[in-house]
Order: sequence, then structure tokens, then C-alpha cells
Amino acid sequence: MNRFEVEQDPKSRDTYYLNMGPQHPSTHGVMRIKLHLDGERIISAEPIIGYGHRAHEKMAENRDYIQFLPNPSRVDYLGGMIYNVGYCQAVERAMDIEVPERAEYIRIVCNELNRISSHLLWLGTFLMDLGAFTPFLYAFDDREKILDILDRITGSRLTYCYARFGGVILDIDDVFLDNVSNFCTYFVERLKEYEKLVIGNVIFRERTIGVGIFAPDLAQKYAITGPCLRAMGHENDVRKDEPYGIYDRFDFDVPTQTEGDCFARTLVRMEEMRQSIRIIEQAVSDMPNGLFLAARVPRRIRPPEGDYYFCVESPRGSFGMYIASDGSDIPFRLKLRTPSFSHISAMPAVMASTMLADAVAILGSIDIVVPEIDR
Amino acid sequence: MKTDIVQLFENPYLALGVSIAIIMAYLSVNAIMLIWLERKLSARIQRRIGPQRGPFGLMQQIFDMGKLLSKELLTPEHANKLLYVIAPILVFAPVVALSSLFPITSTYIFHDFNIAIVLILAISGINVIGIFLAGWGSNNKYALLGAVRSVAQNISYEIPLILSVIPIVMITRTMSLYDITLAQETYPFILVQPIALIIFIISATAETNRAPFDIPEAESELVAGFHTEYSGMRFGLFFFAEYSNMIFACALATVLFLGGWRGPLLPDAVWFFIKVYALIVLMMWFRWTFPRLRFDQLMKFAWVVLVPLSLINLLITTLVLKIV
Amino acid sequence: MALIKEILDGTKTLLTGMKVTLDNFRKPPVTSQYPMEKIEMSEAFRNVIVLIEKEDIGSHDCIDCKLCERVCPSFCIYLDGERPEGLRRKRSTKFEVDFALCSDCGLCLDVCPTDTLGYSKVHDEAGYNRSDFLYDLLEPWADKEEAARERLKEIEAEQAAERARKAAARKAKKVRREK
Repeated sequence: MNRFEVEQDPKSRDTYYLNMGPQHPSTHGVMRIKLHLDGERIISAEPIIGYGHRAHEKMAENRDYIQFLPNPSRVDYLGGMIYNVGYCQAVERAMDIEVPERAEYIRIVCNELNRISSHLLWLGTFLMDLGAFTPFLYAFDDREKILDILDRITGSRLTYCYARFGGVILDIDDVFLDNVSNFCTYFVERLKEYEKLVIGNVIFRERTIGVGIFAPDLAQKYAITGPCLRAMGHENDVRKDEPYGIYDRFDFDVPTQTEGDCFARTLVRMEEMRQSIRIIEQAVSDMPNGLFLAARVPRRIRPPEGDYYFCVESPRGSFGMYIASDGSDIPFRLKLRTPSFSHISAMPAVMASTMLADAVAILGSIDIVVPEIDR
Repeated sequence: MKTDIVQLFENPYLALGVSIAIIMAYLSVNAIMLIWLERKLSARIQRRIGPQRGPFGLMQQIFDMGKLLSKELLTPEHANKLLYVIAPILVFAPVVALSSLFPITSTYIFHDFNIAIVLILAISGINVIGIFLAGWGSNNKYALLGAVRSVAQNISYEIPLILSVIPIVMITRTMSLYDITLAQETYPFILVQPIALIIFIISATAETNRAPFDIPEAESELVAGFHTEYSGMRFGLFFFAEYSNMIFACALATVLFLGGWRGPLLPDAVWFFIKVYALIVLMMWFRWTFPRLRFDQLMKFAWVVLVPLSLINLLITTLVLKIV
Repeated sequence: MALIKEILDGTKTLLTGMKVTLDNFRKPPVTSQYPMEKIEMSEAFRNVIVLIEKEDIGSHDCIDCKLCERVCPSFCIYLDGERPEGLRRKRSTKFEVDFALCSDCGLCLDVCPTDTLGYSKVHDEAGYNRSDFLYDLLEPWADKEEAARERLKEIEAEQAAERARKAAARKAKKVRREK
């Protein structure tokens, strides 16, 4: 028996089980949630995962460091750039590879654009789960603008393989920088529209305020990170706490809320988009000239024997890579710590004794990406 | 001077047949056009183009109809066959039965009935039974949940709906829709009963299961709600019923609050339909703007906000009528 | 009273939302009609890899080094080659890519020593089964292969002559220094 399950009279025939998934409009992929329901009220919820398991960690053990490059962006297809860059940064840190200034700035711009696009998709799908169709299309329209900008230099729209050890694969040009600046000015205005349409809406508030509260002890129990943790009042951001890349050079705030409910998570993410725009604007104005790929990158990527842990701030939380190297060019073990997995583990505790419609809202608000859970 | 179309025929059964045929034809064309309108409207709101086959994308609906008609009618294995089959018909039937009561023009109407409002409120409740049978008969948990939600919702919203109609009846002292329209000669009742109109529109949106009150078919929660298991033209009937219910509710609102066929210059029927479709566009606009309410909030809204509000409105109307 | 205020505030937010949708209703659609409307692909667009023509050779310059085959994470490149008579370098005789497996990572382009790999600019290829995506990259170059080999022979002869000249010069220098 699940420890979150409410004591039930076994003879009681008033409750029933409902399988939400594996195919269900609001599980955002193939995931199943076994709901024990009393009418509309959830007695217990049990997420069942693994339908999209692709053995990324095992694949890492069978190919060398370079060959694993396309994989991280497939782990989380919404934050592909951040994962791709993060993996490169992890290996660079292990090998002490110098990255040129320009490459670092390009990476920051791309990372933050990617973060906005991921948050936009979250906004759209979350509101779709709540029954509003129109913001979904608006968010996709704006997301498409970001994808077009990134497409120009990376050649991909979703699963990027743009970063390389020691820099990036292609240099940016002035047109790219213009596009980014134009997008920034456009998007700041657009965010106000979203806030009018969504945040202010009384129905949206009714649906989210006080719904899906993460109890304070859950944060430690389940290693909640990212916007979900920030919505609980903890100012926790990998970019600030242990700055990687050159994030320590930029001036940005870590938005927090204290309630820990769906509405707080929404506010945190909306503010995060604004902060990302701030970072991008700073990075674009400071963009130095120079190399975009380090001139001297070791031909064979062989991190010295030992264990390395590196984490980056993905749109969903802290994405960590644990590399156990035995000195060869194939990782002995590469563990991916994905935030969605931690968050979905907390679902039984969060979903218990809410309504069926709330379950959908909670799932949407924590922004799960199912391939990231299964890996 | 008015003429009942039904009385033009000597044989009452022939009259019945003709009026049903005309109404059915109108409702089908209307549903198709409304689906087109909704798709175009939502497309523009979302900055898309929408259907484009044929002139203005009108052919798209014809093709969709063809698809629905040509699809195989599947029945789930453990479904209750009888209930499963009659449910869509039961949902559609009340609208057909009641549409003949509306005075579209000042001269010709299908049938003037002196207790039309009672009849409308009584018979339009039948479609809840249809929805419940659909949910129960399909032997699917999602469908059952949707059906249960639908019944609870429809019963709750029937009360404010009725309470918002009563002031009109009190003012006009008649239940015939024709006479109510006649009574709005000087001014439409929206001017004296604005709160009743708002309550009526909200309740009617809930009655027709449209967003933001579409929880019986909340697709992100219940897949498709009560019609999860339906396919082909049986599903098409639910679809038709939704749009027919919409036009039914909006026509009622037009007659009660907006003065029916009354209006300057243009012919009567044109004014009537302009008003009806304006209300429909408003309902569509709601749908493409708002998120969905939660089930318990929906019930709370009906009982805590709408019912007291309509009772207060009723009380005020009574006092004013007594004094004046 | 609080309830009435709540209702009024709520209604106001709903009307604000409706105004936003109305504003967007007035704006033109952003849809691009894809098959009817041609979409410009970006310079960096990645699709299946192709062999790029080298101007001095008049054909591709794949030397069958098999670096791309080795680095490919999806193992979707199949290479084979021969050393033509009278040539120093090898020429590939088989270069197949199973695009159904390819993940467009671009690692093969990074490692190519002769920079003869590039991306195809055709973005709308489709097929009915997996074997439709088995591309033979040498096919477009098949009729130019003979000429290319002849050209390569000339180039290599020139290069050999150059080398010989340099070697002779070095030798002469050495001899002079010794003197």
C-alpha cells in the first residue's frame, strides 16, 4: 500500500481507480497516473513511468564523449540548448578546456532564448490543461519566433547540437544579434499581454491559487529544484549559487514566491522570462569579438580518472551530470539527474485529496517533460 | 396580424411533419454554419487562417459532414446497446421539438402557444437525460464522470435560468413568446432587466456545456467526457445538439430580452437572426478567451452567486411592479 | 458586500481578457501557408549530408578516411573505397547514409579532413518506407568520377613535381651550406 493512501475500508465499493494515461491529453506524453478516486476527489495518485525510456545513460557507456553530444538535447527536448551546452560545460570543466569569451556569450544568449521558448511552451500547455485554448496559440507563435532565430545559427529547431567542447560550431553574425534585440523589445510588450489575458483572469486565479501546494518538507524529501522550489520561497538558482559559464557577470534577479501553489509557480516562471530577457540584453550589448571555438581542443576527449559532477539550471530545475571517468575516452558511467523525475516523485504527496481537475492543473504547473523523466 | 403556419394546413399531422422538416433542415444548415463560424472566429482570435477549402472555407464543413456520415458506427463491446443508441437522439430531440415556438417574424409563426415558456423550460431539461444515458451506456469511466458532472451542472444552472425568466413573465403577464415580443414595443427588456439577461446568458452557456463551463466534456481532464466512446454520425448528433442548443438558448434570450424581431428598417426575420447570431458570437468569444472552471467552483458559482442574485433581482422586480 | 466587490473585480478581469482576444482578432493572421508558400531555409539548415564539389577537382574529394564513419553516434554512414592506380590518395567507392538513423548532429562535418561534407538544402524529402532514406551520396558524382580521377592525377603530378622541386631546392641549399 502506498504510504500516501488514505485508510480505506476494503469492503467499500464507493471508490474506484482511473488510469490517467498512458495516452491522455494532459499527461504531455506517454505517462500513466493511477488515480484512486472517490467521486471527483483523489484519494491517492501513483505515477507510473518508463513508457518512453530510451536508455540514454546506458548509451553514454557505449560511446565516447564526443559521440554523446547529440543525446543531452534529446533528454529534454524543450530545453535542448541548455542541456547540450551543459554537457559540453561539464566535460570542459573535467578536462580544463578553455572556452573563448565570444563562445561563452553566444552560449548565454542561446541558453536564455531557449529558456524563454521552454517557458512559453509551458505557458501554452498549462493553460490548455486549464481549458483555455487561445494562449496556447499565442505562446506557440512567440516560441516560433525564437526557434526561427535559433534556427538561423544552429540549423535545428528543437534538438540542438550546437555546442562543442571548447565553444560552439558556428559563429553568429549581426543579423542574429539584431533579431535577438528586436525579439527582446517585442517580447517585453507581449509579456504584458499575457499577464492581462492569463494572470489577471479570475477563473485562472480560482483554478490555481491554493491548488497543488508543495508542503515545505517536500522540498528536501524529493529534491525539488527550479521554479517549483522558488515558488516555495527559496531563492535557489544554479546560475546564482554556483555560477557556471559566465553567469556571474550578469545582473539578474531570482524571482521567488512563498505560497508554493500553481499560481506561485506561474508567477515565478513569468518573471523568469523577464529576467532572461535582461540577461540576453546584457549579453548582446557586451558581445565581444574573437574566436567562437577554442583553437586548441584536445583531439581525444579523455577526462582524467575521477568523478565529476556538474549541474546547470534547466527551465525545469537543476539538471545534473555525474561523470565517472576511468581515464578512457568512454565514460565509465554518466548519470543524468533530471528535475522532472524528482518532481513527478512528489506527485503522490501533492495530489492526494485534491480534485481530478486539480491533478491536471498540478501536472501542467510543474512543467513535466516525459522523456526527461524516463530518459 | 399574425398567422400560425400550422393552422394553414387542415391536417394537423401534415402540419407537424412540414414544420419538423423545415426546422430540421434549418437546424442542420445552421449547425454546419455555426461550426464554420466558430472555426473561423477562433482562428482569427488565435491569429490563424482557419478552414480554407472552398470559398471562405465553407466547403470544409461539407467534407466534415461527409466524413462523419460515412464513418462506421462503432458500439463499444460492453456498452448498454439500447441506451448507447438512443442517447444522441434524446439530446437532439428537445431542440427540434421546441424550435417551432419562436416568433421569428411578426406575421407568420409556426405555432403560438400560450404557455410556451413553461413548455420550453420543461422539455429542454430532457437533454440532460440524454447526456446521462450516453455516459452510462458507453461503459467508460471518463464518460460516466462527464455524465455525472453534466447532470449536476445542468440541474444547478436550470434554477438561475428559470429565476431570470420569471421577471419577464411578471412584467408582461403572459407566457406566450409572441406576446412577450409584442410587449417590448417601446423598449426591449434588456433596459429594465440587465441583471436577468447576464444571469440568463451565463446559465445558458452552462446549460449548453460550453466553455468556460464545458466541464462535462473537459478534454484535458476527461478526454472527451460523455461522448468519449461515440463515433461517426452519433458523435455528429452530439455535435449538432451542442450548436442547436446554442441557437435555441440565444433565440430565447433574443425573444425575452432583446425584443425579438423588433428593429428599424430591416425586415423582421433579419433583425431576429442578427440578434441571435450576435449573442452566439459572444458565447464563442467567451469560449476562446477563458480557461475552464473547476467542477466544485462551478457549482459554488451557481448556488452562491447566481441563485441569490437572481432571487434579489426577482424581489426587486416584484416590489417595483407592486409600487408602479 | 465583499462578495459583490469580488464579483465586480472578477468581471473586470474577464473583460480585460476579452479585450486582449479582441485586439488579436483585429491583427492579421501569422500563419504561413507552407506547401503553397515556399519557406526559406536558413544557411545553417541541417538535413542529410551531401558531398560538396571541390572546384579544383571538379568533383567531391572524399578520400575514404572513414573518420566520419567512426565518429557517427548513430552509426549511419557506410563507407568503402579503393586506391586507384596511379593515385596517391584513396577514392571512396561507396558512401551511403541511412538518414532514418541520422540525428543531424554534424559531427561528421567537424572531423572531415578535406571539408567535402555539407548539408543538403532540400528540406521536404519524404518516403514511404525506411529504405527510401538510404542515400547514396556518390550517385550524383558517378559520371564525373572518371574525369575527377584524371584531374586528380594531374594535381598529384603537379604536387609531386612541386615536392620534387622543393626537395631539390632544399638539397641544393644543403649542398651550398656544406660548401
